[in-house]
Amino acid sequence: MSPYDFGRVLAAIDGSEGAQKALDCALSICEAVRAELTVLAVEGKLPAYAGSIGEVDEVKREKDTFFARVLDDARSQAEARGVDVHTDLVPGHAAEVITHYAKAHGHDLIVVGHRGHFLGDYLLGSTADRVAHHAHCPVMVVR
Amino acid sequence: MDPVQLAAVLAAVVVVASMLSVELGISVALLELGLGVVVGNVFSLDANTPWLTFIASFASIVLTFLAGAEVDPDDFRERFGASVTIGLVSFIGPFVVACLLAWGPLGWTLKASLIAGTALSTTSLAVVYAVLVETGLNATRIGKLIMSACFVTDMATALALSAIFITPNAWFPLFLAVSIAAIVGLPKIAPWFFRRYGDRVIEPEIKLVFVVLFVLMVLADQANGHAVLPAFVLGLVMARHYQQHRQEQERLRVVAFAFLTPFFFLRGGLNVSLGAVFANLGLLAALFAAKLVPKIGLVMPLARRHVPEHATFTTLLMSTGLTFGTISALYGLNAGIIDRTQFSLLVTVVVLSAIVPTAIAQRWFSPDVEAERDAAATPQHQTSRPRSRAIPATEER
Repeated sequence: MSPYDFGRVLAAIDGSEGAQKALDCALSICEAVRAELTVLAVEGKLPAYAGSIGEVDEVKREKDTFFARVLDDARSQAEARGVDVHTDLVPGHAAEVITHYAKAHGHDLIVVGHRGHFLGDYLLGSTADRVAHHAHCPVMVVR
Repeated sequence: MDPVQLAAVLAAVVVVASMLSVELGISVALLELGLGVVVGNVFSLDANTPWLTFIASFASIVLTFLAGAEVDPDDFRERFGASVTIGLVSFIGPFVVACLLAWGPLGWTLKASLIAGTALSTTSLAVVYAVLVETGLNATRIGKLIMSACFVTDMATALALSAIFITPNAWFPLFLAVSIAAIVGLPKIAPWFFRRYGDRVIEPEIKLVFVVLFVLMVLADQANGHAVLPAFVLGLVMARHYQQHRQEQERLRVVAFAFLTPFFFLRGGLNVSLGAVFANLGLLAALFAAKLVPKIGLVMPLARRHVPEHATFTTLLMSTGLTFGTISALYGLNAGIIDRTQFSLLVTVVVLSAIVPTAIAQRWFSPDVEAERDAAATPQHQTSRPRSRAIPATEER
C-alpha cells in the first residue's frame, strides 16, 4: 500500500462556506478512491468566564442545534453521492480535536476549509494552519 | 445626566457587550462588567441613580435564584462526601485569610473585612461549568466532583452573606417564616400554577417567581438582612421542576439576560474606580493572594487525595470567582459597609480570579479529555450504512 492510498478521509466542517468547499472536495476524493468519509464538527468555544450557567447552557443548546443541522446536511450530501459516511460532533478546541481525532481513528487524510467563520481565525491564525502544523497525516486545505 | 439619557447610554453599552460576546466568545457578564468600568471612568456616569440601584439589586437576587435553579441535583449525589470537604475548605480558607488580611494589616472595619472574606471566598460555578462543558469533562467523574464542590462553596457563600450581616429585629421571624414557606410552598404550587396559567405570552409563571423574590427582598430589607440565601435555596428546590420544563427556564433566562443582569454587571463596573485600583496595586496583589494562596494551599492536598491525577486542575478551577463575588461586594457597597476604593479592589480581584486560574488550568493542566470521556461518555455518532472498515469499539465515543 502506498502511503497515499487514502482509505479513511476526515472532513472537518463548521457550517461556513469554506467548510462546504472542503466537504465537496472530500466527497469527490472519497468517490474517486472509494474511501470512507468521516465528517467531524467541533463544537468550539463556549462563553469564557461566564456569569451564569444559563448563559453557557443556552449557547451550548444553540450550537447543538446548529451543528446537528450542519452534520445532517453533510450526511445527506454524502448519501446522495454514494459515499460511506460517519458523522461526529465533539466538544473542544477545533485544531486540537481535529488532529487528535484523525490520529485516534486512523484517518489517512484531513480535509479542511481555508477559513472558518470565527473571528479567532483572523486574530490567531486559522484552524487550517494549526491542523496542517500538528496533523500526523496529509492535510488538504481547500480554498 | 438625566435618568432616561443614562438608560439610553447603558442600553447601548449592553448591546455592544452582547455583540462583543458573540464575536470574541467571552461571556457577556464579564464584558458588561468591563465596559461598565470603561464608560464609568471615561464619562463619570452616576452608578448610584435609584432606578439603576433598584434593578441591579433585584437582578442580583434573580441571578442567585437562577444559580440555584441551574443546579442538576443528580450531578451532586456522586462523590458527595469528597465534594463537601473540598467545597467547604475552598470557602473557609480564603474567607479567614482575606478577613484577617483586611482587618489586620489593611485596617478595614470588621464588617468591611467580612465582606472582603465573603467576596473572595467564592468559586464560580458558571466559569467552571463553561470550562467543563466546552471540553466535555462535565460528564466525567472529575467534572462532577468539581461541580459539586463549587456548589458547596456557593452555598457557603450564600449562607455567609445572609447570616453574617443580619442584625435581627422584630421583622426577622417573619422573614424566616416567609422564606421557609416559599421554599416549601413554591415547588408544591408551581406545577398547578404553571399548568393552569403557564405557556402564555403574558408569562404568569415568571411573574409568580418575581413576586416571591420581591417579597423576600422586602422582608430581608426590613429584617436588616439579605435575601440571597432563601433565593438560592428557592432556586435549588425549583431545579427539578425547571429540568422537566425547560421552556419555562429558558423564558426566565431571556427576561433575566435581556433586561436585568446586564444592569447588575454594568453597575458593578460603573462603581469600579480605575484610579483607586492603580493607586493601590500592592493591596490588589495582597487581596489576590489572599484568595489564591489559601485556595491552592488548602484545596490542593484534598484534591491530591481525591483526584490525584487532576489535583492542580481541580484546585485552579476551585479558585475562580465572578458572580457571587460581585454580588457580595455590591451588597457591601450598597449597605455602606465598604467604600468605592474597597469595592474597586474587591471586584478587580474577583474578575482577575475568573480569568487567571481558568486560563492557567486550561492552558497547562487540562486533563486528558479523551481518556476521561472514554470512561463516561455515550456514543454520539451514527453511521449511515455498514462501513467496509468499522472503527474499533474501543475508539468510539
